[in-house]
Amino acid sequence: MLSLQHISKYYQVSGLKNFVLNDLSLEIDEGEFVSIMGPSGSGKSSLLNIIGMLDEPSEGYHYFAGQAVHQLKEKQRSALYKQYVGFVFQAYHLIDELTVYENIETPLIYQDFKGSERKAMVADILDRFNIVGKKDLFPAQLSGGQQQLVGIARALIAKPKLLLADEPTGNLNSKQGEEIMELFRKLNKEDGVTIIQVTHSEKNAEYGSRIINLLDGKIESSKQL
Amino acid sequence: MIKNYIKIAWRNLKRNKAYAFISVVGLALGITCGILIFTLITYHLSFDNFHKTPDRVYRLYTEWHDESVGRSQGVPQPLGKTFRNDFALAEQTARAISFHDNLITITQGNQVKKFNEEDGVAFTEAGYFDILNFPLLKGDKKTILVKPGEAILTEKTARKYFGDADPIGKVIRLDNKVNFTITGVLKDLPANTDRKQQVYVSYGNMNEYTNKEREDNWGGVFSGSEVFTLLKPSTTLASANEAMALIVKKHYTGRDLKVWKFKLQPLSDIHFNSDLDGYADKKYLWALFFIGLFLIITACVNFVNLATAQALNRAKEIGVRKVLGSLPRQLFWQFIAETTLITLVAVIVAVALSFIALPVINNLFHSQMAFELSQLAVFIVLISILVVFLSGSYPGLVLARFQPILALKSKLSQEHVGGFSLRRILVVTQFSISQVLIIGAIIIVSQLHYSQTADLGFNKDAVVLLPIPQNDKAKLSTLHNRINEVQGVEKSSYCYRPPASQSNNSTDVRFNHRAEDEHWGINTKPGDENFLSTFGMKLVAGRNFFPADTTREFLVNETFVKKLNLKPQDVIGKMLSVNGRSTTAPIVGVVKDFYNYSFHTEISAVCIMPDYRSYSTLAVKINMRNAKTSLAAFEKIWNETFPEELYSYQFLDDSVGKFYEMDNIQLKLVEAFAGIAILIGCLGLYGLVSFMAVRKTKEIGVRKVLGANTQHILWLFGKEFTYLLLIAFVIAAPLAWWVMHNYLQDFKYRITIGPGIFLASILSTFIIASITVGYRSIMAATANPVKSLRSE
Repeated sequence: MLSLQHISKYYQVSGLKNFVLNDLSLEIDEGEFVSIMGPSGSGKSSLLNIIGMLDEPSEGYHYFAGQAVHQLKEKQRSALYKQYVGFVFQAYHLIDELTVYENIETPLIYQDFKGSERKAMVADILDRFNIVGKKDLFPAQLSGGQQQLVGIARALIAKPKLLLADEPTGNLNSKQGEEIMELFRKLNKEDGVTIIQVTHSEKNAEYGSRIINLLDGKIESSKQL
Repeated sequence: MIKNYIKIAWRNLKRNKAYAFISVVGLALGITCGILIFTLITYHLSFDNFHKTPDRVYRLYTEWHDESVGRSQGVPQPLGKTFRNDFALAEQTARAISFHDNLITITQGNQVKKFNEEDGVAFTEAGYFDILNFPLLKGDKKTILVKPGEAILTEKTARKYFGDADPIGKVIRLDNKVNFTITGVLKDLPANTDRKQQVYVSYGNMNEYTNKEREDNWGGVFSGSEVFTLLKPSTTLASANEAMALIVKKHYTGRDLKVWKFKLQPLSDIHFNSDLDGYADKKYLWALFFIGLFLIITACVNFVNLATAQALNRAKEIGVRKVLGSLPRQLFWQFIAETTLITLVAVIVAVALSFIALPVINNLFHSQMAFELSQLAVFIVLISILVVFLSGSYPGLVLARFQPILALKSKLSQEHVGGFSLRRILVVTQFSISQVLIIGAIIIVSQLHYSQTADLGFNKDAVVLLPIPQNDKAKLSTLHNRINEVQGVEKSSYCYRPPASQSNNSTDVRFNHRAEDEHWGINTKPGDENFLSTFGMKLVAGRNFFPADTTREFLVNETFVKKLNLKPQDVIGKMLSVNGRSTTAPIVGVVKDFYNYSFHTEISAVCIMPDYRSYSTLAVKINMRNAKTSLAAFEKIWNETFPEELYSYQFLDDSVGKFYEMDNIQLKLVEAFAGIAILIGCLGLYGLVSFMAVRKTKEIGVRKVLGANTQHILWLFGKEFTYLLLIAFVIAAPLAWWVMHNYLQDFKYRITIGPGIFLASILSTFIIASITVGYRSIMAATANPVKSLRSE
């Protein structure tokens, strides 16, 4: 599905390169559920952002779904991204001014779905996530777990092949966290969505099929479960 | 998509009410000024554009080339006739000779009604209404004003005279001299014409009304004697000008051949040419245009300022949208949609404000402007689009360019929203504009104050001017005696006009029987022996003339002496000839110079002499404590002396004040615009300070924890805006100096632009700015540091 080769990311500070990712290579196949772990500052989020094409590496080659991302123009990259990737955040990042329904609908608007299609798709996912009753509420009226559920629903609405999650349970209590993880496992197993998550929790990491440990911008270990 | 944009725009505005309010108010003020200035400019540009073939219509005017060039819209009375009879260049040529403040008397049974026609009456040749498009409601266009003794008037004047009765066939009497029968009614004149006369009478009665010599007098002009011509399509301006040269050749001799010139003025030039009687100098219309443009720019700048500061608060939303797949273009348009919404609200407010403000402006200009709805609609649409893109595109671009990762992590800083320095530049721009306007307003105020309080060389206080409609010797002397007996009257004098007047007679002058006339004219001021004492004027040499009815002796002013390069004593006893040498008498005294025109015009050579036939004013110096009873007594005596006339009076200082009517209007406009510019500027400043307060929350918190007190924190803000205002001042001061220096060139006697004016401007700006930023800064400075640090 995607391949990173000799990826580096650094910031130039008074002439010195400050490496966040250092010559890192990684292959991920379709259908995998990868958990990325590592201490603070080891480059987990940067790696995720580069995989998700939100950020560009300083050096290296990046292939995604058979295309060389490092050669694509902004517009093509954006099109690729829209088609394949959904993002879930630790802090949910719902738009405060929009209702649950409108939040979930927004990606579809950007992908030029027609009004009637959008309606059907949103209704479908609201049903699947069991949040039909919440659709007219604003994010501030929901609990953290419910907000994250909306965040995931929004990430999945356009049926992405790859779901990227940056500490999706970081702001949730353990019960809510477990429910989200169960949901991820189900999505991976039943719908075949490739998932890459960044997590601090060993327990959550074990829901995946592979655990990658990062240290100082390099892969320290990688184990298949 | 659009629906979504508008929905989120609306919710965003609702959430940030203060921001929306400031943005809307700023834009609305700017757009209001834009609408009003647009209306004003189109109103002036529309003057006399409704005639059938305006590009072929010209007015003849006179130019004199002597020591200096003089111009008048008036021409010698025979010129129009000659041009018509001797040349076949025009389809129609018509003379119109107009007088001001005429008395119209209407007798119906025993009832006598008197009206003062302020806009006057014009003796008009019939062709006038073929050249200019003033349609008749009643009467036959073919025969109208062809025969003597006919009059036509406008609908509203007819109603004023006769109520709802049919005016046709009724008789009006003009200045107790000539009767006219009404044969037609004109549709009311549109507001946008410089032809103001409401009553037109047959040209054939001109000789009966004035003296016969005027009809063939090439030697002088009366400013009301105008000629309009409609040139044939084949006639070029050059051939018409040639004809004018031929006319001069035929009717003038000697030096006059070089001095006199007649020219054609296009109809479209009449309203704007201030060398003649043009009302609206295009220079001032341009100035207004730029002020309007500046105000709209200021309002947009303000909006950009607030919107980019606001952008930081929206970073998260933008980040999320980008992550959800929005293209920069889509974010840009989303922001444009928001700006459009704000602009629409602002436009609605602005239109409402304009409708409220227009009557005030009409009152100020004595004009009858109305909104041309179709034109205005186009203007509003265009200006809305301009405002939307001027103010929406930059913040839109800034938002669209946000790095989503940084935005989501709240790691955006001022560099990402166009930099703090950009906002500084914008605020400096706004304050430069408002300081230019403030300096302008201060200078106009000072100049007007100078004009109104400076020593004019004569006393203008407590002098009442009474009109003299008839120059009957016996009546004059009775009136004089009776007025002098009224309690509170100190002195009185018969004269043509007071020392400074808008109505003047200038004539040729020959000194001491020299071989030829001087190359400059002299302003003749007929007045009796009490003229000097009534107006408190001083002699520098010689004596006052002895009481007389006709000119036996002359007084001249210092300028006269200077122009001759002589000393005051040298002219005493020398002979002076004026009015084509028809009047010759010795000079007996020299009066100290006084301002015989306004401060716009240089003091000219003046002579004062008795001549009872020229008197049209009785100037009475009174004791203001008894003013009320004195004025009542004057009215009674005057009405008994002139029972057929309409009484009116004026104070001299009011009449002098009229010189500066336009200046006062300009002052009020500049004051209003300066006020609005400052207001918008303050909104911008408030936005900047709010932005700073948010940005410096942590810094303030840390400083307070480290022991800074409120004053220290306030100085953080004070330092910033002091610095900005100083830069704005450095930009504004030379610009304002240059503009106002040019403005003052219009005054021959003027103030100098001193440092005090600049000091006053910057001080006032500082005070206003301090008040604006004060509240927000104090809020920020007194906030509990624990709160601001906790969020980090």
